Amino acid sequence: MYRTVAQLDRIGQQLAQRFPQHVRWTTLPETSVQGRPVHALRVRAGTGENRRGVLLVGGVHARELMNPDALVELAVALVLSYTGGTDIVLGGRTWPAADIKMIMDTMDVHIVACTNPDGREYVMTVDDMWRKNRRAGADGECPGVDLNRNCDLLWGVAEGQTSCSPCTDIFVGSAAFSEPETRNVLSIVDSERIDCFVDVHSYSELVLYPWGHSPNQTIDPTRRFTTLPTGSCQPVVAGWREYIDPRDLQRFETVAQRVVQAIVDVRGQQYTPQQGRGLYGTTGTHSDWVYGRHIAHPGARKTYGYTFETGPFVGNARDSFHPADPEPVKRDVTSGLLALMQQCVCAVELIGLRVLGGEDQVDGLRRIRDEVLATTAAGRTWIGLFERLQTSVIPVLFADEALLRRAGDVVARARDAASDAEAPLDDGLVTDTLAVLQDIARGVADADVDAGVRAVREALQPVGGRSWRGLVEQLTSRGPTLR
Amino acid sequence: MSTSEPVPVRFEAVVRSNTHELAISTIDALDLDRVPDSGGEIRLIVGPEDCARLVAEGYEVRLQQVVPVQPLDPELVVSDSAAQAWFDEQVGG
Repeated sequence: MYRTVAQLDRIGQQLAQRFPQHVRWTTLPETSVQGRPVHALRVRAGTGENRRGVLLVGGVHARELMNPDALVELAVALVLSYTGGTDIVLGGRTWPAADIKMIMDTMDVHIVACTNPDGREYVMTVDDMWRKNRRAGADGECPGVDLNRNCDLLWGVAEGQTSCSPCTDIFVGSAAFSEPETRNVLSIVDSERIDCFVDVHSYSELVLYPWGHSPNQTIDPTRRFTTLPTGSCQPVVAGWREYIDPRDLQRFETVAQRVVQAIVDVRGQQYTPQQGRGLYGTTGTHSDWVYGRHIAHPGARKTYGYTFETGPFVGNARDSFHPADPEPVKRDVTSGLLALMQQCVCAVELIGLRVLGGEDQVDGLRRIRDEVLATTAAGRTWIGLFERLQTSVIPVLFADEALLRRAGDVVARARDAASDAEAPLDDGLVTDTLAVLQDIARGVADADVDAGVRAVREALQPVGGRSWRGLVEQLTSRGPTLR
Repeated sequence: MSTSEPVPVRFEAVVRSNTHELAISTIDALDLDRVPDSGGEIRLIVGPEDCARLVAEGYEVRLQQVVPVQPLDPELVVSDSAAQAWFDEQVGG
């Protein structure tokens, strides 16, 4: 069963009225092409500005009906779990209340459940296979723009399933962001801090990450989309392989794998993580655009953009786009989105924020991660290890105020030590770091975390007068030994 | 033929050729509405004229079913009362 646009809006409005301390329901700057308001939810606990943010959008393609319902239900579930201290149970996967609290306490969750209200209305009243928005066509012919081809990332490059012909279902529109529905998404990304993004589509059971317009490569950073022409209505240059930072690719793959596992846990559905291009060639998509912003506009925040394709193919397209019973698929995607949100939390930034007075307090360490460790395969395996394990570590750390203070202390001392890379490392810092890690591992009681702590201990010992630079050189040349 | 305007007849079809990659490039060039297929087939929503074009290009076009232009089955649309009841139940009235 599927809600109408008005019903989706009403849930958001009522949720905000009922829980004003946790939910903000806003009308986005522009109405749809047919004059319908488009709304966004912001769900969170606590206060503060410039918190990490995740943006979830649904209903971009009108006929993919499940996802707006799933997103408003996710908003309700987050709030009720937080306020009631209850777990979220999704089939075989239970999301502990502590995990939801961590998400709510640390992030702003922005949700545009129904990005394309005109299209949804049209699906429910005229044509249940409609995909685009309802932009009037020239001379009354061929209405509609494919909103997921209208963003400013190689806009108008007719690669794969992208077209400059208005009569197609994959029409790019008259210009990048020509449509009010896509400009509404742009307005959120421009005005809020968005670290992670998911555009939720159907169907195929995929978790997609950049790029959509060409095969990826991690060798030649000069091969950037910013050097390609736009608006050509021609495919991408033959043989083009777009550069993706290997650290980013690793992160996309790591997070996607977590999402896939969270979905499997619900009822065994096996989603496939893959590059967007694997589905078919595209340009101007939301998820590639949002990730590409920091490349096209140096200084812009990096946002990790994903597209989920929810639900299986069930023998024909109509029933796959809107199955008679979407409830199992909604549970799958909810679990996947929770995993995505959880992966969007960064433990070291959290320590900076909670203990040291601001995320900027760990900027020096973040630079070492992004500008030094990330440059080698061995260094990236350390980053990957940390990102894999932090999900288990964070709840334990933040449930124990004394342990959190000790972690903050060693992070601050490591940060200070990094400011003089040639000075010998303090034995006390290493000893205290290992003690904190050991106590965290004891609290987590997880074999993977134990193995990770052992790997860190081996890397840090013996200190023997090594400098910070020496340690970093070691980490960038030799990855963790996991046993 | 446009697949984006309501048309009298359209089909869900699977297109096959000896060369899968060539078929994909043709589909891309013809600007057809390709929908996902878990088996890796080339699955389209197409009108009769597009079918004829594909056949003329030498492709095998297997029509799976008619896809009439029709609104979503009203049985699949939540009633206002049910939508409100769901919310009330969730938040405890």
